[in-house]
This record gives sequence, structure tokens and C-alpha cells, in this order.
Amino acid sequence: MKALIERIEPLIWVLFGAGFMVGSLLLPAWVFTFGIAQPLGWVPDGALAFERAHALAANPLGKLLLLALIALPIWNAANHLRHFSIDLGGYERDGAVAPLLYAGALVLSVVAIVAVIGL
Amino acid sequence: MSEVTKKTVVVTRFDPDQDEVPKTQSYEIPVQSDWKVLDALNYIKDEVDPTLSHRWSCRMAVCGSCGMMVNGEPKLTCKDALSNYGNTIEVEPLANFPVVRDLVVELDGFMERFKKVKPWIIRAKELAVEEGATRQSPQELADFKQWSMCINCMLCYSACPVVGNDPHFLGPAAIALGHRYNMDSRDEGSAERNEVMLEEGGVFACSYANECSEVCPKDVDPAAAVQQGKALSLLDWAKGLVLPRGSE
Ligand code: FES
Repeated sequence: MKALIERIEPLIWVLFGAGFMVGSLLLPAWVFTFGIAQPLGWVPDGALAFERAHALAANPLGKLLLLALIALPIWNAANHLRHFSIDLGGYERDGAVAPLLYAGALVLSVVAIVAVIGL
Repeated sequence: MSEVTKKTVVVTRFDPDQDEVPKTQSYEIPVQSDWKVLDALNYIKDEVDPTLSHRWSCRMAVCGSCGMMVNGEPKLTCKDALSNYGNTIEVEPLANFPVVRDLVVELDGFMERFKKVKPWIIRAKELAVEEGATRQSPQELADFKQWSMCINCMLCYSACPVVGNDPHFLGPAAIALGHRYNMDSRDEGSAERNEVMLEEGGVFACSYANECSEVCPKDVDPAAAVQQGKALSLLDWAKGLVLPRGSE
């Protein structure tokens, strides 16, 4: 398991880096638009009505964007938590922590892929 | 004349022949306002207690031998002004290193990690002398110069949480040193070096704490070298997926 993780470490780093960008730039904009601006009525009436929003999300590009928004920050979190655990003296337990976190990220990514495809 | 005041310097003492664990000893000494932390230690050794052991040489932040923890942070003691601190300052040996005696730490194991990154210019074929010097443009020099400014003071090893936890980690200075040669236009050894960078304890063991760059007294910014090293070795890794190892 350890050897496998070591082999794919660069790939995890790419997902982590991408997740960091998405999580710090796109995700806040997303949360602001749908979580704050829309409920407070700052968005013109109907601009984010269900049909329009759904059409946007169901478009192949929209699906890709949604997937990136959901899945990449999960990898960012998994990798950060793993290194956090090591920094707190968890080098010994990393053999269990890393597979657990990455497996979790993988499962959630698959769930996200299935959900996004089904839109 | 600089002004003289009194300060208490609390120093870690450890004699491997007598002590099980390190203890501390306080010295109240007169200090001058322009003194560095190292001046206080030298005063103690010369005037108060000749049994104190600490390492130093150049006193001008180039030899890298006077690194110690000052009030819990890794510092070059010949560069760190006493006036940065209050009336009591604590001096301990560099964290993350085995202690030989008092403030002197063992560096051998860490020097091995420097060798691992092959810190020399690797060429497929050496140029014959008749062919003249290998020229570099100012830009090519600038590409690696920053990474060559390291004085091996090991403050970054002392600050790095991964060095403290992962016995395999190459560490910030060694990775920056490898990166210095990878960025040198005369060098052709980056594929060899990146194999080391990709191993267990290589660049990907870094946990992004950035502490190495915070404490670096020469502004080498080893954390940037580690991050760039990740990107560069990533390319070699991706190539390795497509091409079998060792092929060009
Ligand atoms: S004594 Fe040389 S760097 Fe401090």
C-alpha cells in the first residue's frame, strides 16, 4: 500500500494543487453566488431559476466544472490532512492514515462523478 | 561607546559523560547594546565558564556553523542581535539534531542527505579543455544563483516539521541544493537527481509548512525549491509512465 501511494504521489500532488486553486478561488465565488447572493435576492429574478441553472449544470462543460468544484478540493483536503497528521508526530501511523484518506477521497470522487453524470 | 546593560542568558548544558538528559544553566552577564547572541556566548566562555561548548567560526553569517535555537527559534547567532530580545534569553542546541555536547549538534547523518542529491555538475560527456569554457548568459546564472547561496547552517532542518518526524526526508537544504544543479544550464543530471527526489523522503514528503523559508538567514527560499522540484520531477514521473525506465 505504502509503495503504491509512493508511486502515485506526484498524481496526488497534482490533484491536491488543482484542488487548492479550485478551493481557494472558484469555490468561494460559487458559495457566494448560490449561498449568499441568490438567497438575498441580489441576483436578477429568474437568472438562477431551476431550469436555467439545471441547463447550465447539465451541459457537458457545466458537468466538468461541477465535478472539479466538488472532487478536487476533496483531494486537497485529504492530502493536507495526511501531512497535518505527519506534522503532529504521525509518521508511524501514516501507513494507515494515508490509505484511509486517499481511499475516502477516491470514493467521494466516484460518488461525485456518478452524481454529475446523472444530472 | 555602546551602552552596557545586564542580561540573563539561559543556556542548555549537556555533558554526555555525566548527564542523562540536558539541563539548563543561567548566566547573568554585562552585554553591550550592539552585541549579537554569539557575542554573549563568547563572553560566557571567555570570562565566566570555559566549559561551555558552542560552535562558530566566521562571525559574519557565511560559514553557517553558529546555528542555535534562540528563544525557541532557529537563528544564526552571529547575525541575531541581542537587542531583539528582553532581559532573559534562552539558547538551546538546534532542534531535530542529536546533541554532542552543550550547544554542539551532530551533523554527519544530515550531510549524507546532501550527497544523495548529487550536488555536482553531471555531464553526459565532459568538454575537452580545447573546447573552451561553458558559457552562461546572465539569465542562466540567475536561474540557479539563488539556490547556490545556502551556507548549510541547517536552520531549515531545525524548523521543518517533516525533518522532525520522517527519518527518510531529504530536507529543505538538500532539496534546494539538488535543485540548484537541476537549474544549471551546464548540468545534464536532472533525470538522475529526480529519481532521488521521487523516492520515499523526496520532495513529495514536504508538508508545505514553509518554515524552512521563514528561518533561512540567506533568503534561499528552500520551500520554493521544493515546490519547483515537485513540478520538475512530476515531468520525469509522467515520462516514466510512458517510457520504460532508463530509456531516452
Ligand atoms: S559564525 Fe559563521 S555563520 Fe555565524
